[in-house]
Amino acid sequence: MTSSGPTVILSYDRWVTDVRFQLNFKSGKPVYLQLVDQVKSAAASGAVQPGDPLPSIRPLAEELRVNRNTVAKAYAELENQRVIETIAGKGCFVRASSSPFRKDVRLKLVAETMDDAVVQAHHLQVGKAEFVRLAEERFDAFEDKRARAVHE
Amino acid sequence: MTSPTSVIEINQLVRRYGRTDAVNGLDLQGEPGRCYGFFGRNGAGKTTTIKCLLNLLRPTGGEVSVFGMNPARNEVAVKSRLAYVPDYVAFYPWMTVRDTLDYFASFRARWNRDTERALIDQFRLAPAQKTSHLSKGQRTQVALVAAVCAEPDLLVLDEPTSGLDPIVRREFIQTVIGAYQDADPGQRTVFVSTHLISEFEGLIDEFTIIENGRNVLTLSADVARERYRKIHARFAVEPDRLEFGGARVLRQRGREIELVVNGNADDVMNRLRAGALESVTTESLSLEEIFVATLQPGGAVA
Repeated sequence: MTSSGPTVILSYDRWVTDVRFQLNFKSGKPVYLQLVDQVKSAAASGAVQPGDPLPSIRPLAEELRVNRNTVAKAYAELENQRVIETIAGKGCFVRASSSPFRKDVRLKLVAETMDDAVVQAHHLQVGKAEFVRLAEERFDAFEDKRARAVHE
Repeated sequence: MTSPTSVIEINQLVRRYGRTDAVNGLDLQGEPGRCYGFFGRNGAGKTTTIKCLLNLLRPTGGEVSVFGMNPARNEVAVKSRLAYVPDYVAFYPWMTVRDTLDYFASFRARWNRDTERALIDQFRLAPAQKTSHLSKGQRTQVALVAAVCAEPDLLVLDEPTSGLDPIVRREFIQTVIGAYQDADPGQRTVFVSTHLISEFEGLIDEFTIIENGRNVLTLSADVARERYRKIHARFAVEPDRLEFGGARVLRQRGREIELVVNGNADDVMNRLRAGALESVTTESLSLEEIFVATLQPGGAVA
């Protein structure tokens, strides 16, 4: 049996069709970070646009049956990373992506994430050439997906 | 160790029944706004511990404090800030649901009528029904309404969902997350003992596993899931001899091996790679699997 947690499709405009929060307690990744990454990839892929509202904490926590603090922590982290912003009395919204960091810092952040993938590739005996080819392929797939989302 | 902000503080608790040590040197701590899982097999000492917290039992030894107070000496002060939903809920059979909730409310300084109305609706409870006619699920729902409407700082749940149908169990957990936790998340503390660990998985911030009246493991849920992993590996040829210090081999047949690691995944992966490794997958253990792995004969995974 696969062991993923609940999948939730929320009735919030774009979140309906494009964002499915899916928690997997067996991934080894903290639950709040799974939410963070899913919102980030939805924002990066164009599935949600700047100004789109995020679901409020209570219904999302109830639906996913996770601690309310877990969702609150995810939103705080997203705000910290400037992916979303909180407008008092209105809720959380996706921000236009503009990284506050200098280019070298941004490169370093990406490099850190890539290091994880390199380690994983090493463990799984995927060589450098294959890895680079895969990286290009993933990047193209991402840009395709993004272009399609923006044009819709 | 004593932190002034602790909601629950248990130090070396001992409780004997005759010659039997139900609880034997238990330590436990709970901070406000967090959700604690309390896991143990039948007879491990969970209910006895909870009864000591609620002053339904006097400890034989050790110390228990709730909100920084001794629950025996400050019974009213402690009880006015907590609510308790036991496994088996009993009401006065001649009272209706309405009477019962009013009766509970009469003991409480606070009672949230809006929450009460919303939950009665949501659970489809009939206020005019006699409690003697309620099903087990409905009795638990009434007890949960009574607990949540009082807006306590601490919600103590002892096997709250055992014997309930899946829909009632789901609604129960959603109510704890929504109606209870949401109102004042920084203060709303949950302490839940349960066998149905997987259902509460998303709710649990931290858990304690007890066995023979002692805590054997206390960890945050995220840390636990990161540490405890199951590795499944397949070799191209059957390996001669495999040595895994600290990992428990779940099964090994021919070219395949499955093992559980506790924090030493990298080391074990390196040992595996010494063989002709064909494929390898890892996944975290769920809290329920961690519970089983910890209490299985042979002891905890080192």
